[in-house]
Amino acid sequence: MKLAPAEIQALQDLTIVVFAPLVSGGIAHIEGRLQGRRGPRILQPYYDLVKFFAKETLVPEDASWVFLAGPVLAFSCYLIVPLLIPVLTNYPLPLGYIGDILAGGFILALAGFAVALAAVETGSPYAQLGSSRAMTFGALIEPSILFVTFTVALITTTDLPYFEAAAVRSSMSQIVRPAHILAVIAFFLVVLNDTGRIPVESHTSTIEFGMIDEARTLEHSGPAFALLRWGSAMKQLILYVILINVFIAPWGLAGSRSLGAVLIAIPIFITKAFGVGFLFAIIDNSFSKLRLFKITEYMAVAFLLAVLALLVLFLGGG
Amino acid sequence: MLASTHVPSVFTGSADAVALVVLLSEFAMLRAPLLRSQIRLYSFQSFAVTGLAVIVAATRNLNELFIIAGFSFVLKVVLVPGIIMRLLRDSRVDLVGSHRLGVASMVLLAIVISVFGIFVVGSLPIHSQSLPTPALGLAMAIILVSFLLVILRSDVVSQAVGFFSLENGVSVASLVVAAGLPLIVEVAFLFDLLVAVVVFGVLMRVHHNRTKTLSTSVLDRLRG
Repeated sequence: MKLAPAEIQALQDLTIVVFAPLVSGGIAHIEGRLQGRRGPRILQPYYDLVKFFAKETLVPEDASWVFLAGPVLAFSCYLIVPLLIPVLTNYPLPLGYIGDILAGGFILALAGFAVALAAVETGSPYAQLGSSRAMTFGALIEPSILFVTFTVALITTTDLPYFEAAAVRSSMSQIVRPAHILAVIAFFLVVLNDTGRIPVESHTSTIEFGMIDEARTLEHSGPAFALLRWGSAMKQLILYVILINVFIAPWGLAGSRSLGAVLIAIPIFITKAFGVGFLFAIIDNSFSKLRLFKITEYMAVAFLLAVLALLVLFLGGG
Repeated sequence: MLASTHVPSVFTGSADAVALVVLLSEFAMLRAPLLRSQIRLYSFQSFAVTGLAVIVAATRNLNELFIIAGFSFVLKVVLVPGIIMRLLRDSRVDLVGSHRLGVASMVLLAIVISVFGIFVVGSLPIHSQSLPTPALGLAMAIILVSFLLVILRSDVVSQAVGFFSLENGVSVASLVVAAGLPLIVEVAFLFDLLVAVVVFGVLMRVHHNRTKTLSTSVLDRLRG
């Protein structure tokens, strides 16, 4: 049975929406084990979501409609990005051409902006601290993302993620080329940072020093909070998709439109995501966090790798 | 674009990657706060250079290079770091706050310098038969960044390590342009390093005995 491209596209979105909490829960479980705890149940994020959706929404007195619109806008942004990236298939789907890696980055940034705006709207100092930090550090990591994109553009002459994945699959020489290795490591560092792990953020706790993303959602409650939690799990999975299916291991994707091939691609991808999540949890738990203002050092390293990737390409040896 | 049509072969790609590892460890030395970790990084960097020599020797059938690689392994990976480590242990100093600039600004400065080096060499019409040409640009970048290491870190160990890693950069460059150099010349280069080790060893000892520290910033006060 063959699926229509539109159906596959919908399935990509559905995969991200449905499995994002599972991956988050799995990582939290593994992390608990690493720290000598039993860890929460793997399905815990789903229970949390159900609980939050059942609760009432409280809005701070001075907040306007932006406070409630922010989470919805962010969530819809996270629904758009999976249309642009290779979640399940190794061939481009029709809507895959509406935006490149940069467009995906912009939409993710728009989501971040919406959350930050909703947080600032409350007037709560913690929420403002969180959004101010998130915006500042987002701007600092941006050059590395840009240079990774440039590297991809030079390797494939386009910056559509599907083509980079195809290039990686095409031969061994594409994998060992220094430009690719460096860009992968740089992007890996970016994802580590953006999923709130290394270098300064503690992504689960409410300690002020390490609060960035968690702080932004402090004032939200009920369904809006559920959307934010769900959204941040989806953002994490989206970044994993780009890291895994574009850069590290673009294998195991569906090569045809048949139902079986597409369906089998889902568990393969989730397994890969668990693998990467496990790696992230290990890294997160084996390094101490940096002081907040040392974050520039980390950004400098990611930037250095991305710049070197571009340089060796220009030299003709990448 | 040039880059998209030209995909490097597995040999070229991996050789370039090793040269990059050498450059990256140079950057890491620039950052490393512990003197011990700096020496370990030097040892690691020398190991990468040795690996590069082995790759070139194996793929280009230059048997003499195996001997050089062996020498360089014994000297630069084991012996020299061992000696410096021992001197350091005697002086019982681990940490010298010797960064003259913030880490991020140092790295950015080093990026600018290496870009300069890479582009300058890239514009020269030098082509090599034994190693991919980009490695030469990277070697230049390694040399320039190690200059930066010597300039920006004000402690004796960093300056010694900077000087030794300068030699590593030169080794990479010589592997690129003259892999078939006569054995005796290469060995002479390597033993030059030993002389440098002795000089720096004496310098470290004397400096530490006089000032009880490894920082060179106290030397600024020695004005006539």
